[in-house]
Amino acid sequence: MKSRNLHRAATLALVAIAATGSSAAAQIRVVATTPDLASVAREIGGDKVSVVALAKPTEDPHYVDAKPSHIVTLNRADALIEGGAELELGWLPPLLENSRNSKISAGAPGRIVASDGVKMLEVPTSFDRSKGDVHSLGNPHFMIDPVTVKIVARNIANHLAQVDPKNAATYNGNLSRFNAKLDAKYADWQKQLAPYRGAKIVTYHKDFVYFAERFGLNIVDELEPKPGIAPSPAHLAQVIGKMKAGNAKVILVQPFQNRKTAETVARQTGATVLDTPEQPGAASNTNTYFDMMDNLVHTLAGGLGAQK
Amino acid sequence: MSADFQIAWEVMKWPFVACLLFPPLLVYLGLHVVKREVIFVDLALAQVATLGTCIALLMGYHFDDRTTFWISLAVTFVGAAFFSWTRSTQKGPVPQEAIIGITFVVAAAGVILLLSRVAGGKEELEHLLTGDILNVTKGEIGQRLIVFAALGGFYAAFHKRFVLISSDPEKAFADGVRVRLWDFLFYAAFALVVVSFVRLAGVLLTFAYLIVPAVCGTMLAQEWMKRLAIGWGIAAAASLIGLWASYKMDLPTGAAIVVASGLLLAIVGIFSSARRA
Repeated sequence: MKSRNLHRAATLALVAIAATGSSAAAQIRVVATTPDLASVAREIGGDKVSVVALAKPTEDPHYVDAKPSHIVTLNRADALIEGGAELELGWLPPLLENSRNSKISAGAPGRIVASDGVKMLEVPTSFDRSKGDVHSLGNPHFMIDPVTVKIVARNIANHLAQVDPKNAATYNGNLSRFNAKLDAKYADWQKQLAPYRGAKIVTYHKDFVYFAERFGLNIVDELEPKPGIAPSPAHLAQVIGKMKAGNAKVILVQPFQNRKTAETVARQTGATVLDTPEQPGAASNTNTYFDMMDNLVHTLAGGLGAQK
Repeated sequence: MSADFQIAWEVMKWPFVACLLFPPLLVYLGLHVVKREVIFVDLALAQVATLGTCIALLMGYHFDDRTTFWISLAVTFVGAAFFSWTRSTQKGPVPQEAIIGITFVVAAAGVILLLSRVAGGKEELEHLLTGDILNVTKGEIGQRLIVFAALGGFYAAFHKRFVLISSDPEKAFADGVRVRLWDFLFYAAFALVVVSFVRLAGVLLTFAYLIVPAVCGTMLAQEWMKRLAIGWGIAAAASLIGLWASYKMDLPTGAAIVVASGLLLAIVGIFSSARRA
């Protein structure tokens, strides 16, 4: 059984090489589960890698619809970057099993887990799926924290250097450049958001926890009663009460979340709904991680500023 | 064999095997369902099965847990018993199709209610509808093959009796056949088929495999065996077209097969009405 699988994997690999031609063999084929990871990988890999993301920018990273191309892409990959912390638990494992690519199997140098070494927030002390708990390893939405992203970038650089040792110096150089750019940007983002330290925000899902902690924002509540559970009338009434009492005036939503729910709450509370996508490419002209963060900070500062 | 084809084959192999192995029994059951004019009974049972799955999810079991399967099956058996009980030999003023329709709607609404308390309920709902035939594994196919083979044997052994009950329940009753009991056995086995296939392929694809080929067969032929043969051909063709389109155009696999079977039905419909004219 095992040897048959091996044989199949070998056939697939040979076929993949034959199909893509030898010119592409020069570049390392990197597959990222989400566009934010893909963007960081492009910064680190430069022209030594080709990067594709499996999830669309407007898709919920927890739920991605499986398509044949995903299996083909994974089968041909030299490296896979996943968010980790069970972000992709609902859809990645069966795709990986079907892609039969040992280069990206768990523990291989080609398997990059972005969350490795990240100090996770909200790690539950007890876990019960029937109570709506989804993440036993903590909140996986850490990519919009610029400090944490440095860890992710280092993870990517380290693994790429193992997969492709002859270009290790390039990857490390790109990492330094990325970090320097991030430092400059981070200072700018801090300046933009400095006036709103302690400002109260409401989010749809628990996807702004790291950002809020980093920039000193105060998350009053989420529209979801529990992560992944659709907002119920009773919970929304509670949120509306809290928003009125605490004078919270902005609600942040992602493209795949129910904006109508946010708008209903906004109508009741005089708040503004802000579109704050966390994936590059979801808003226009935000093709890179930096563009996305610029847009996020700008939108948030604008929304909070208008409320003052 | 070209390299591109070989990759396509590696990716689509198990879905392909599943889409050829399982439909024959579904088509056979579909012929009964069409004959009985209870077209939506499978959709209703599939929905009841889904309701059972949701109850399990709410209890904290995972979608793939064995317990989830048993809970789903138990709930579906209740539905099967209900349908065999409501199919009275005396025709009452309320057609059974109405009961079936109501069951479907109530079960569907129940699913929405239950999933509103489950993390990622909205997505789970979509998943239950469309299934995940693309990611089917060898193991899953093997398990179901045993179930399908056993049930196929059961239906084959009592084929004559089931045909009589389906096409002429009054005569069966007059002949001394315990119609209600056999109806329950029919629906219970049917429920087992639906539950095990729905978990693999989703509600939509299950319905398509049951009804569309059977309707095509009924349009084109009179005898059971001919209808069955035509139905198998249609199911296989829809699977091939759907899988091919899914791969070539990168579409969700299950939905592609459903649409392909709808297109085939349209062609068969035009052909058969032209033949009659």
